[in-house]
Amino acid sequence: MVEAPDTSQPEARRELLRINLGPQHPSTHGVLRLELELDGETIVSCRPIIGYLHTGIEKSMAARSWLHAIAMTDRLDYLNPLGNNLAFALAVEKLFDCVIPERAVIARLLLAELTRINSHLVWVGTNALDLGALSVFLYTFRERELLLDLFEEMSGARMMTSFIRPGGLAADLPDGWMQRCKQVLDALPKYVDEYEALLTRNPLFRERTIGVGKLSAGDAIAAGVSGPLLRASGIAHDLRKAHPYCGYEQFEFRVPTATAGDCYARYEVRMAELRESIDLCQQALARMPGGPVRTPDRKVMPPLREEFQQSMEALIHHFKHYTEGLRPPAGEAYVPVESPRGELGFYVVSDGTGRPVRIHERAPSFANLQALPAMAKGMLIADLIAIISTVDPVLGEVDR
Amino acid sequence: MTGVWWQQVMGAESVATRDGMPSVRVPAERWLELANAAANAGYARFLDLTVVDEPSDPARFQVLLTLYSFAARGWLRLRTRTPGPLASVTSLFAAANWYEREAFDLFGVHFDGHPDLTRILLPDDYPSHPLRADHPLGDEPIDFTVTREVDSQW
Repeated sequence: MVEAPDTSQPEARRELLRINLGPQHPSTHGVLRLELELDGETIVSCRPIIGYLHTGIEKSMAARSWLHAIAMTDRLDYLNPLGNNLAFALAVEKLFDCVIPERAVIARLLLAELTRINSHLVWVGTNALDLGALSVFLYTFRERELLLDLFEEMSGARMMTSFIRPGGLAADLPDGWMQRCKQVLDALPKYVDEYEALLTRNPLFRERTIGVGKLSAGDAIAAGVSGPLLRASGIAHDLRKAHPYCGYEQFEFRVPTATAGDCYARYEVRMAELRESIDLCQQALARMPGGPVRTPDRKVMPPLREEFQQSMEALIHHFKHYTEGLRPPAGEAYVPVESPRGELGFYVVSDGTGRPVRIHERAPSFANLQALPAMAKGMLIADLIAIISTVDPVLGEVDR
Repeated sequence: MTGVWWQQVMGAESVATRDGMPSVRVPAERWLELANAAANAGYARFLDLTVVDEPSDPARFQVLLTLYSFAARGWLRLRTRTPGPLASVTSLFAAANWYEREAFDLFGVHFDGHPDLTRILLPDDYPSHPLRADHPLGDEPIDFTVTREVDSQW
Protein backbone atom coordinates (compact mmCIF):
# COMPACT_ATOMS: atom_id res chain seq x y z
CA MET A 1 0.00 0.00 0.00
CA VAL A 2 1.31 3.38 -0.94
CA GLU A 3 0.22 6.15 1.32
CA ALA A 4 -1.61 8.95 -0.45
CA PRO A 5 0.47 12.15 -0.50
CA ASP A 6 -0.70 14.88 1.77
CA THR A 7 -1.96 17.60 -0.55
CA SER A 8 -3.77 19.60 2.10
CA GLN A 9 -0.72 21.78 2.64
CA PRO A 10 -0.04 24.22 -0.17
CA GLU A 11 3.73 23.97 0.41
CA ALA A 12 3.75 20.27 -0.40
CA ARG A 13 1.85 20.83 -3.63
CA ARG A 14 4.14 23.51 -4.97
CA GLU A 15 7.23 21.39 -4.93
CA LEU A 16 8.25 20.48 -8.46
CA LEU A 17 9.82 17.18 -9.30
CA ARG A 18 12.48 17.05 -11.98
CA ILE A 19 12.79 13.73 -13.71
CA ASN A 20 14.59 12.38 -16.69
CA LEU A 21 12.87 10.33 -19.41
CA GLY A 22 15.06 8.42 -21.82
CA PRO A 23 17.27 8.29 -23.80
CA GLN A 24 16.88 4.55 -23.41
CA HIS A 25 13.15 4.22 -23.02
CA PRO A 26 10.95 2.13 -25.29
CA SER A 27 8.36 4.85 -25.76
CA THR A 28 10.81 7.49 -26.96
CA HIS A 29 11.04 5.85 -30.39
CA GLY A 30 14.78 5.87 -30.48
CA VAL A 31 17.11 7.78 -28.26
CA LEU A 32 15.19 10.86 -27.29
CA ARG A 33 15.81 12.25 -23.84
CA LEU A 34 13.39 14.56 -22.06
CA GLU A 35 14.02 16.63 -18.97
CA LEU A 36 10.67 16.98 -17.27
CA GLU A 37 9.49 19.21 -14.48
CA LEU A 38 6.44 17.74 -12.86
CA ASP A 39 3.90 19.11 -10.46
CA GLY A 40 2.43 15.88 -9.24
CA GLU A 41 1.66 14.14 -12.52
CA THR A 42 1.24 17.36 -14.49
CA ILE A 43 4.00 18.47 -16.81
CA VAL A 44 5.19 21.97 -16.03
CA SER A 45 8.00 22.00 -18.52
CA CYS A 46 9.52 19.57 -20.95
CA ARG A 47 12.92 20.01 -22.55
CA PRO A 48 13.94 17.58 -25.28
CA ILE A 49 17.63 16.77 -25.39
CA ILE A 50 18.73 15.30 -28.68
CA GLY A 51 21.96 14.27 -30.34
CA TYR A 52 22.31 10.74 -28.98
CA LEU A 53 22.11 9.39 -32.52
CA HIS A 54 24.26 12.10 -34.11
CA THR A 55 26.54 10.44 -36.64
CA GLY A 56 27.82 13.48 -38.50
CA ILE A 57 26.15 12.11 -41.61
CA GLU A 58 26.13 15.50 -43.38
CA LYS A 59 29.89 15.71 -42.89
CA SER A 60 30.32 12.17 -44.14
CA MET A 61 28.21 12.93 -47.20
CA ALA A 62 30.32 15.97 -48.08
CA ALA A 63 33.51 13.97 -47.67
CA ARG A 64 32.59 11.27 -50.16
CA SER A 65 31.15 11.09 -53.66
CA TRP A 66 27.58 11.83 -54.71
CA LEU A 67 26.98 8.10 -55.21
CA HIS A 68 28.07 7.28 -51.68
CA ALA A 69 25.64 9.86 -50.35
CA ILE A 70 22.68 7.86 -51.69
CA ALA A 71 23.43 4.98 -49.35
CA MET A 72 23.58 7.41 -46.43
CA THR A 73 20.18 8.91 -47.21
CA ASP A 74 18.61 5.51 -46.40
CA ARG A 75 19.92 5.78 -42.89
CA LEU A 76 18.51 9.19 -42.05
CA ASP A 77 14.81 8.41 -41.76
CA TYR A 78 15.08 4.66 -41.61
CA LEU A 79 11.33 4.19 -41.89
CA ASN A 80 11.26 6.08 -45.18
CA PRO A 81 14.38 4.99 -47.07
CA LEU A 82 12.85 5.18 -50.55
CA GLY A 83 11.35 8.58 -49.82
CA ASN A 84 14.77 9.83 -48.76
CA ASN A 85 16.35 8.35 -51.88
CA LEU A 86 13.71 10.13 -53.93
CA ALA A 87 14.22 13.53 -52.29
CA PHE A 88 17.97 13.27 -52.77
CA ALA A 89 17.67 12.07 -56.36
CA LEU A 90 15.30 14.93 -57.26
CA ALA A 91 17.72 17.49 -55.83
CA VAL A 92 20.71 16.07 -57.71
CA GLU A 93 18.64 15.83 -60.89
CA LYS A 94 17.86 19.53 -60.56
CA LEU A 95 21.59 20.18 -60.72
CA PHE A 96 21.96 18.04 -63.85
CA ASP A 97 18.63 19.14 -65.33
CA CYS A 98 18.08 15.68 -66.83
CA VAL A 99 14.90 13.99 -68.04
CA ILE A 100 13.65 10.89 -66.26
CA PRO A 101 11.81 8.21 -68.27
CA GLU A 102 8.09 7.94 -67.57
CA ARG A 103 8.32 4.41 -66.20
CA ALA A 104 10.89 5.49 -63.63
CA VAL A 105 8.73 8.47 -62.59
CA ILE A 106 5.64 6.34 -61.95
CA ALA A 107 7.67 3.58 -60.30
CA ARG A 108 9.23 6.17 -57.99
CA LEU A 109 5.80 7.42 -57.00
CA LEU A 110 4.68 3.84 -56.36
CA LEU A 111 7.74 3.12 -54.23
CA ALA A 112 7.44 6.38 -52.29
CA GLU A 113 3.81 5.55 -51.48
CA LEU A 114 4.64 1.95 -50.50
CA THR A 115 7.21 3.38 -48.10
CA ARG A 116 4.62 5.78 -46.73
CA ILE A 117 2.30 2.82 -46.07
CA ASN A 118 5.19 0.98 -44.46
CA SER A 119 6.02 3.95 -42.25
CA HIS A 120 2.41 4.55 -41.22
CA LEU A 121 2.00 0.84 -40.43
CA VAL A 122 4.92 1.08 -38.03
CA TRP A 123 3.37 4.21 -36.58
CA VAL A 124 -0.08 2.69 -36.03
CA GLY A 125 1.44 -0.34 -34.36
CA THR A 126 3.88 1.47 -32.11
CA ASN A 127 1.39 4.17 -31.21
CA ALA A 128 -1.08 1.55 -30.03
CA LEU A 129 1.76 -0.26 -28.27
CA ASP A 130 2.71 2.89 -26.38
CA LEU A 131 -0.87 3.25 -25.23
CA GLY A 132 -1.03 -0.34 -24.06
CA ALA A 133 -2.82 -2.01 -26.99
CA LEU A 134 -0.25 -4.68 -27.70
CA SER A 135 -2.06 -6.66 -30.36
CA VAL A 136 -2.25 -3.95 -33.06
CA PHE A 137 1.53 -3.94 -33.24
CA LEU A 138 1.56 -7.63 -34.15
CA TYR A 139 -0.96 -7.08 -36.93
CA THR A 140 0.75 -4.06 -38.49
CA PHE A 141 4.14 -5.73 -38.42
CA ARG A 142 2.64 -8.76 -40.11
CA GLU A 143 1.57 -6.56 -43.03
CA ARG A 144 4.82 -4.64 -42.96
CA GLU A 145 6.60 -7.91 -43.67
CA LEU A 146 4.69 -8.17 -46.96
CA LEU A 147 5.99 -4.75 -47.99
CA LEU A 148 9.52 -5.45 -46.82
CA ASP A 149 9.48 -8.65 -48.87
CA LEU A 150 8.57 -6.56 -51.92
CA PHE A 151 11.43 -4.17 -51.21
CA GLU A 152 13.80 -7.07 -50.72
CA GLU A 153 12.81 -8.70 -53.97
CA MET A 154 13.22 -5.43 -55.85
CA SER A 155 16.44 -4.05 -54.34
CA GLY A 156 18.01 -6.86 -52.36
CA ALA A 157 17.54 -4.99 -49.11
CA ARG A 158 14.56 -4.86 -46.81
CA MET A 159 15.20 -1.40 -45.40
CA MET A 160 18.37 0.22 -46.74
CA THR A 161 17.27 0.06 -50.34
CA SER A 162 19.29 2.81 -52.13
CA PHE A 163 17.04 1.95 -55.07
CA ILE A 164 15.97 5.37 -56.33
CA ARG A 165 19.06 7.05 -57.69
CA PRO A 166 19.78 10.28 -59.51
CA GLY A 167 18.76 9.56 -63.09
CA GLY A 168 16.13 6.90 -62.45
CA LEU A 169 16.10 3.59 -60.67
CA ALA A 170 18.97 1.27 -59.85
CA ALA A 171 17.26 -1.48 -61.84
CA ASP A 172 13.93 -2.28 -63.42
CA LEU A 173 11.24 -3.87 -61.26
CA PRO A 174 11.71 -7.66 -61.32
CA ASP A 175 9.45 -9.90 -63.41
CA GLY A 176 6.19 -10.61 -61.65
CA TRP A 177 6.90 -8.03 -58.97
CA MET A 178 3.98 -5.83 -59.99
CA GLN A 179 1.54 -8.76 -59.71
CA ARG A 180 2.82 -9.57 -56.24
CA CYS A 181 2.65 -5.92 -55.31
CA LYS A 182 -0.96 -5.82 -56.52
CA GLN A 183 -1.84 -8.86 -54.38
CA VAL A 184 -0.43 -7.13 -51.31
CA LEU A 185 -2.25 -3.90 -52.10
CA ASP A 186 -5.54 -5.73 -52.73
CA ALA A 187 -5.28 -7.30 -49.29
CA LEU A 188 -4.24 -4.16 -47.41
CA PRO A 189 -7.58 -2.28 -47.10
CA LYS A 190 -9.06 -5.25 -45.26
CA TYR A 191 -6.15 -5.18 -42.84
CA VAL A 192 -6.56 -1.44 -42.29
CA ASP A 193 -10.21 -2.18 -41.42
CA GLU A 194 -8.88 -4.56 -38.78
CA TYR A 195 -6.71 -1.89 -37.17
CA GLU A 196 -9.60 0.53 -37.25
CA ALA A 197 -11.84 -2.07 -35.64
CA LEU A 198 -9.32 -2.38 -32.84
CA LEU A 199 -8.71 1.33 -32.29
CA THR A 200 -11.10 3.84 -33.82
CA ARG A 201 -14.03 3.27 -31.47
CA ASN A 202 -12.00 1.70 -28.69
CA PRO A 203 -13.01 3.67 -25.56
CA LEU A 204 -9.61 3.24 -23.92
CA PHE A 205 -7.79 4.44 -27.03
CA ARG A 206 -10.11 7.42 -27.40
CA GLU A 207 -9.76 8.29 -23.75
CA ARG A 208 -5.98 8.36 -24.11
CA THR A 209 -5.90 10.43 -27.30
CA ILE A 210 -8.90 12.77 -27.59
CA GLY A 211 -8.04 16.24 -26.32
CA VAL A 212 -4.47 15.20 -25.61
CA GLY A 213 -1.50 17.17 -26.94
CA LYS A 214 -3.44 19.85 -28.73
CA LEU A 215 -1.65 22.00 -31.26
CA SER A 216 -3.53 24.90 -32.79
CA ALA A 217 -3.11 25.76 -36.46
CA GLY A 218 -1.28 28.98 -35.60
CA ASP A 219 1.11 27.24 -33.21
CA ALA A 220 1.74 24.51 -35.75
CA ILE A 221 2.80 27.02 -38.39
CA ALA A 222 4.89 29.00 -35.92
CA ALA A 223 6.68 25.85 -34.84
CA GLY A 224 7.58 24.92 -38.41
CA VAL A 225 5.59 21.71 -38.11
CA SER A 226 4.72 19.83 -41.30
CA GLY A 227 3.14 16.60 -42.48
CA PRO A 228 0.28 14.78 -40.71
CA LEU A 229 0.91 16.86 -37.60
CA LEU A 230 0.12 20.05 -39.51
CA ARG A 231 -2.86 18.53 -41.32
CA ALA A 232 -4.32 17.27 -38.04
CA SER A 233 -4.37 20.92 -36.93
CA GLY A 234 -6.61 21.79 -39.85
CA ILE A 235 -4.16 23.01 -42.49
CA ALA A 236 -4.56 21.11 -45.74
CA HIS A 237 -0.98 21.51 -46.85
CA ASP A 238 0.50 18.55 -48.64
CA LEU A 239 3.41 19.08 -51.01
CA ARG A 240 2.10 16.31 -53.24
CA LYS A 241 -0.90 18.54 -53.95
CA ALA A 242 0.48 22.04 -53.38
CA HIS A 243 3.71 21.55 -55.33
CA PRO A 244 3.41 18.27 -57.22
CA TYR A 245 6.60 16.45 -58.07
CA CYS A 246 7.22 13.06 -59.57
CA GLY A 247 3.91 12.99 -61.45
CA TYR A 248 1.56 13.40 -58.47
CA GLU A 249 -0.48 15.92 -60.48
CA GLN A 250 -1.67 13.06 -62.73
CA PHE A 251 -3.19 11.10 -59.85
CA GLU A 252 -6.42 11.32 -57.94
CA PHE A 253 -6.07 11.55 -54.20
CA ARG A 254 -7.40 13.43 -51.23
CA VAL A 255 -5.43 15.31 -48.60
CA PRO A 256 -7.00 14.13 -45.34
CA THR A 257 -7.23 16.72 -42.61
CA ALA A 258 -8.71 16.99 -39.15
CA THR A 259 -9.37 20.06 -37.10
CA ALA A 260 -9.02 19.01 -33.48
CA GLY A 261 -5.20 19.08 -33.51
CA ASP A 262 -5.02 16.41 -30.80
CA CYS A 263 -3.54 12.93 -30.77
CA TYR A 264 -6.76 11.37 -32.03
CA ALA A 265 -6.87 13.81 -34.97
CA ARG A 266 -3.35 12.73 -35.92
CA TYR A 267 -4.49 9.12 -35.77
CA GLU A 268 -7.43 9.91 -38.06
CA VAL A 269 -5.22 11.74 -40.54
CA ARG A 270 -2.65 8.97 -40.70
CA MET A 271 -5.28 6.24 -41.10
CA ALA A 272 -6.91 8.18 -43.93
CA GLU A 273 -3.50 8.73 -45.52
CA LEU A 274 -2.86 5.02 -45.30
CA ARG A 275 -5.96 4.36 -47.40
CA GLU A 276 -5.14 7.17 -49.84
CA SER A 277 -1.66 5.78 -50.32
CA ILE A 278 -2.97 2.29 -50.99
CA ASP A 279 -5.24 3.80 -53.62
CA LEU A 280 -2.38 5.83 -55.12
CA CYS A 281 -0.29 2.67 -55.40
CA GLN A 282 -3.15 0.88 -57.19
CA GLN A 283 -3.45 3.75 -59.65
CA ALA A 284 0.31 3.76 -60.23
CA LEU A 285 0.32 0.01 -60.89
CA ALA A 286 -2.59 0.34 -63.29
CA ARG A 287 -0.90 2.97 -65.39
CA MET A 288 2.71 1.81 -65.17
CA PRO A 289 4.18 2.40 -68.63
CA GLY A 290 6.87 0.30 -70.24
CA GLY A 291 10.27 1.48 -71.32
CA PRO A 292 13.58 2.16 -69.65
CA VAL A 293 14.02 3.20 -66.01
CA ARG A 294 17.29 5.08 -66.48
CA THR A 295 17.86 8.44 -68.05
CA PRO A 296 19.76 8.27 -71.34
CA ASP A 297 22.04 11.03 -69.98
CA ARG A 298 25.25 9.08 -69.44
CA LYS A 299 26.65 11.77 -67.16
CA VAL A 300 23.99 10.84 -64.62
CA MET A 301 23.34 7.12 -64.99
CA PRO A 302 25.63 4.39 -66.28
CA PRO A 303 24.38 2.17 -69.13
CA LEU A 304 22.94 -1.25 -68.43
CA ARG A 305 25.30 -4.18 -68.44
CA GLU A 306 23.75 -5.64 -71.64
CA GLU A 307 24.67 -2.45 -73.44
CA PHE A 308 28.29 -2.13 -72.52
CA GLN A 309 29.04 -5.65 -73.61
CA GLN A 310 28.45 -4.45 -77.18
CA SER A 311 29.46 -0.80 -77.08
CA MET A 312 32.86 0.64 -76.27
CA GLU A 313 31.36 4.03 -75.34
CA ALA A 314 28.99 2.37 -72.91
CA LEU A 315 31.90 0.60 -71.27
CA ILE A 316 33.80 3.89 -70.96
CA HIS A 317 30.75 5.56 -69.41
CA HIS A 318 30.39 2.69 -66.98
CA PHE A 319 34.05 2.95 -66.01
CA LYS A 320 33.95 6.73 -65.60
CA HIS A 321 30.75 6.53 -63.58
CA TYR A 322 32.09 4.11 -61.03
CA THR A 323 35.61 5.51 -60.77
CA GLU A 324 34.91 9.24 -60.81
CA GLY A 325 31.32 9.28 -59.65
CA LEU A 326 28.81 11.96 -60.53
CA ARG A 327 29.98 15.46 -61.34
CA PRO A 328 26.92 17.69 -61.15
CA PRO A 329 27.35 21.17 -62.64
CA ALA A 330 28.12 23.87 -60.09
CA GLY A 331 25.04 25.20 -58.38
CA GLU A 332 22.63 24.55 -55.58
CA ALA A 333 19.18 23.06 -55.32
CA TYR A 334 16.54 22.25 -52.73
CA VAL A 335 13.63 20.03 -53.74
CA PRO A 336 11.12 19.40 -50.99
CA VAL A 337 8.95 16.29 -51.01
CA GLU A 338 6.20 15.07 -48.70
CA SER A 339 7.68 12.37 -46.51
CA PRO A 340 5.45 10.38 -44.11
CA ARG A 341 6.54 12.91 -41.49
CA GLY A 342 6.34 16.15 -43.45
CA GLU A 343 8.41 18.40 -45.62
CA LEU A 344 11.65 16.64 -46.41
CA GLY A 345 14.24 18.17 -48.69
CA PHE A 346 17.91 17.99 -49.41
CA TYR A 347 19.74 21.24 -49.91
CA VAL A 348 22.66 20.26 -52.13
CA VAL A 349 25.55 22.44 -53.26
CA SER A 350 27.94 21.38 -55.98
CA ASP A 351 31.08 23.12 -57.19
CA GLY A 352 31.35 20.98 -60.31
CA THR A 353 33.81 18.47 -58.88
CA GLY A 354 32.96 14.96 -57.83
CA ARG A 355 32.66 15.89 -54.18
CA PRO A 356 29.60 17.65 -52.77
CA VAL A 357 30.28 21.00 -51.09
CA ARG A 358 27.34 20.59 -48.78
CA ILE A 359 24.40 18.25 -48.41
CA HIS A 360 21.93 19.38 -45.80
CA GLU A 361 18.73 17.59 -44.97
CA ARG A 362 15.69 19.59 -43.96
CA ALA A 363 14.38 16.88 -41.66
CA PRO A 364 10.67 17.04 -40.81
CA SER A 365 11.13 15.19 -37.51
CA PHE A 366 13.58 17.83 -36.29
CA ALA A 367 11.05 20.64 -36.64
CA ASN A 368 8.12 18.51 -35.46
CA LEU A 369 9.95 17.46 -32.31
CA GLN A 370 10.64 21.08 -31.50
CA ALA A 371 6.90 21.56 -31.02
CA LEU A 372 6.78 18.82 -28.36
CA PRO A 373 7.15 21.08 -25.28
CA ALA A 374 4.22 23.23 -26.45
CA MET A 375 2.03 20.14 -26.84
CA ALA A 376 3.11 18.53 -23.57
CA LYS A 377 2.70 21.51 -21.28
CA GLY A 378 -0.08 21.05 -18.74
CA MET A 379 -0.67 17.44 -19.76
CA LEU A 380 -0.20 14.38 -17.57
CA ILE A 381 2.97 12.37 -17.84
CA ALA A 382 1.06 9.42 -19.28
CA ASP A 383 -0.24 11.73 -22.01
CA LEU A 384 3.32 12.65 -22.88
CA ILE A 385 3.88 9.10 -24.10
CA ALA A 386 0.89 9.45 -26.42
CA ILE A 387 2.13 12.83 -27.64
CA ILE A 388 5.68 11.67 -28.42
CA SER A 389 4.19 8.78 -30.29
CA THR A 390 1.87 10.91 -32.44
CA VAL A 391 4.69 13.31 -33.30
CA ASP A 392 6.23 10.20 -34.87
CA PRO A 393 9.84 11.37 -34.72
CA VAL A 394 12.54 9.28 -36.31
CA LEU A 395 15.66 10.08 -34.37
CA GLY A 396 17.87 9.08 -37.26
CA GLU A 397 16.83 12.21 -39.12
CA VAL A 398 16.51 14.38 -36.01
CA ASP A 399 20.12 13.83 -35.02
CA ARG A 400 21.59 13.12 -38.46
CA MET B 1 11.95 39.58 -62.60
CA THR B 2 11.74 43.32 -62.06
CA GLY B 3 9.43 44.94 -59.61
CA VAL B 4 9.20 41.97 -57.29
CA TRP B 5 8.76 43.04 -53.73
CA TRP B 6 12.11 42.05 -52.36
CA GLN B 7 13.85 44.27 -54.86
CA GLN B 8 11.72 47.19 -53.77
CA VAL B 9 11.76 46.47 -50.07
CA MET B 10 15.22 45.10 -49.70
CA GLY B 11 17.11 46.62 -52.57
CA ALA B 12 18.44 43.11 -52.88
CA GLU B 13 19.24 40.95 -55.86
CA SER B 14 17.94 37.48 -56.45
CA VAL B 15 20.56 34.83 -57.08
CA ALA B 16 19.87 32.29 -59.79
CA THR B 17 19.66 28.77 -58.38
CA ARG B 18 18.92 25.58 -60.20
CA ASP B 19 15.76 24.85 -58.26
CA GLY B 20 14.16 28.10 -59.42
CA MET B 21 13.38 29.27 -55.89
CA PRO B 22 13.80 32.98 -55.32
CA SER B 23 17.01 33.31 -53.43
CA VAL B 24 17.78 36.78 -52.16
CA ARG B 25 21.19 37.97 -51.03
CA VAL B 26 21.03 40.39 -48.13
CA PRO B 27 23.77 42.20 -46.20
CA ALA B 28 24.57 40.61 -42.84
CA GLU B 29 23.87 43.80 -40.88
CA ARG B 30 20.31 43.93 -42.27
CA TRP B 31 19.62 40.20 -41.72
CA LEU B 32 17.01 40.57 -38.99
CA GLU B 33 15.38 43.62 -40.55
CA LEU B 34 14.93 41.97 -43.94
CA ALA B 35 13.83 38.65 -42.46
CA ASN B 36 11.15 40.68 -40.74
CA ALA B 37 10.24 42.31 -44.06
CA ALA B 38 9.91 38.86 -45.62
CA ALA B 39 7.70 37.67 -42.74
CA ASN B 40 5.51 40.75 -43.15
CA ALA B 41 5.24 40.06 -46.88
CA GLY B 42 3.69 36.67 -46.10
CA TYR B 43 6.77 34.48 -45.88
CA ALA B 44 6.04 33.84 -42.23
CA ARG B 45 6.48 30.08 -42.03
CA PHE B 46 10.01 29.12 -41.06
CA LEU B 47 11.26 25.97 -42.72
CA ASP B 48 14.99 25.75 -42.57
CA LEU B 49 18.18 27.48 -41.61
CA THR B 50 21.54 26.14 -42.57
CA VAL B 51 25.10 27.18 -43.25
CA VAL B 52 27.56 26.56 -46.06
CA ASP B 53 31.15 27.13 -45.07
CA GLU B 54 33.66 28.51 -47.56
CA PRO B 55 36.91 29.12 -45.66
CA SER B 56 38.57 30.87 -48.64
CA ASP B 57 36.18 33.79 -48.25
CA PRO B 58 36.86 36.27 -45.41
CA ALA B 59 33.14 36.21 -44.65
CA ARG B 60 33.26 32.44 -44.68
CA PHE B 61 29.80 31.46 -43.46
CA GLN B 62 26.96 31.58 -45.93
CA VAL B 63 23.78 31.43 -43.85
CA LEU B 64 20.60 30.39 -45.66
CA LEU B 65 17.13 30.90 -44.31
CA THR B 66 14.24 29.15 -46.07
CA LEU B 67 10.74 30.53 -45.58
CA TYR B 68 7.37 29.57 -47.02
CA SER B 69 4.31 31.60 -47.82
CA PHE B 70 0.90 29.92 -47.89
CA ALA B 71 -0.58 32.91 -49.73
CA ALA B 72 2.05 33.02 -52.46
CA ARG B 73 2.40 29.21 -52.42
CA GLY B 74 6.13 29.39 -52.60
CA TRP B 75 9.44 29.35 -50.87
CA LEU B 76 11.85 32.19 -50.34
CA ARG B 77 15.48 31.81 -49.46
CA LEU B 78 17.36 34.60 -47.76
CA ARG B 79 21.12 34.33 -47.79
CA THR B 80 23.91 36.29 -46.28
CA ARG B 81 27.63 36.03 -45.74
CA THR B 82 29.16 36.61 -42.38
CA PRO B 83 32.59 36.13 -40.81
CA GLY B 84 31.07 35.47 -37.42
CA PRO B 85 28.13 36.63 -35.36
CA LEU B 86 24.74 37.21 -36.95
CA ALA B 87 21.46 38.50 -35.52
CA SER B 88 19.17 35.71 -34.38
CA VAL B 89 15.79 35.42 -36.10
CA THR B 90 14.21 33.56 -33.17
CA SER B 91 12.28 36.71 -32.24
CA LEU B 92 10.47 36.40 -35.60
CA PHE B 93 10.36 32.64 -36.01
CA ALA B 94 10.25 30.58 -32.83
CA ALA B 95 11.05 27.49 -34.89
CA ALA B 96 14.48 28.90 -35.74
CA ASN B 97 15.58 28.12 -32.19
CA TRP B 98 16.89 24.61 -32.76
CA TYR B 99 18.17 25.42 -36.23
CA GLU B 100 20.36 28.26 -34.95
CA ARG B 101 21.57 26.04 -32.14
CA GLU B 102 22.52 23.44 -34.72
CA ALA B 103 24.35 26.03 -36.85
CA PHE B 104 26.19 27.18 -33.72
CA ASP B 105 26.98 23.62 -32.70
CA LEU B 106 28.28 22.38 -36.04
CA PHE B 107 29.69 25.57 -37.59
CA GLY B 108 30.41 27.84 -34.62
CA VAL B 109 28.28 30.68 -35.98
CA HIS B 110 27.03 32.85 -33.11
CA PHE B 111 23.51 34.23 -33.20
CA ASP B 112 23.11 37.40 -31.17
CA GLY B 113 19.88 37.52 -29.24
CA HIS B 114 19.22 33.76 -29.25
CA PRO B 115 17.57 32.77 -25.96
CA ASP B 116 19.60 29.60 -25.39
CA LEU B 117 22.57 29.29 -27.72
CA THR B 118 23.99 25.97 -26.57
CA ARG B 119 25.15 22.89 -28.40
CA ILE B 120 22.27 20.73 -29.53
CA LEU B 121 23.66 17.61 -31.22
CA LEU B 122 27.16 17.32 -29.82
CA PRO B 123 28.16 17.07 -26.14
CA ASP B 124 28.57 20.39 -24.35
CA ASP B 125 32.31 19.87 -23.88
CA TYR B 126 32.99 19.05 -27.54
CA PRO B 127 36.13 20.97 -28.54
CA SER B 128 35.35 22.04 -32.11
CA HIS B 129 32.72 22.69 -34.78
CA PRO B 130 32.96 19.66 -37.06
CA LEU B 131 30.92 20.76 -40.07
CA ARG B 132 33.38 23.51 -40.93
CA ALA B 133 35.00 22.75 -44.26
CA ASP B 134 38.53 22.84 -42.84
CA HIS B 135 37.68 20.48 -40.00
CA PRO B 136 39.24 17.08 -40.67
CA LEU B 137 36.87 14.18 -41.14
CA GLY B 138 38.54 12.19 -38.39
CA ASP B 139 37.96 8.67 -37.32
CA GLU B 140 37.99 6.61 -34.20
CA PRO B 141 40.79 4.09 -33.85
CA ILE B 142 39.39 0.66 -33.27
CA ASP B 143 40.96 -0.65 -30.11
CA PHE B 144 41.27 -4.38 -30.39
CA THR B 145 41.76 -5.69 -26.92
CA VAL B 146 41.75 -9.15 -25.49
CA THR B 147 38.74 -9.37 -23.26
CA ARG B 148 38.97 -13.03 -22.41
CA GLU B 149 41.86 -15.41 -22.01
CA VAL B 150 41.49 -18.28 -24.41
CA ASP B 151 41.45 -21.49 -22.49
CA SER B 152 44.41 -23.58 -23.63
CA GLN B 153 42.42 -26.74 -22.98
CA TRP B 154 40.16 -26.01 -25.95
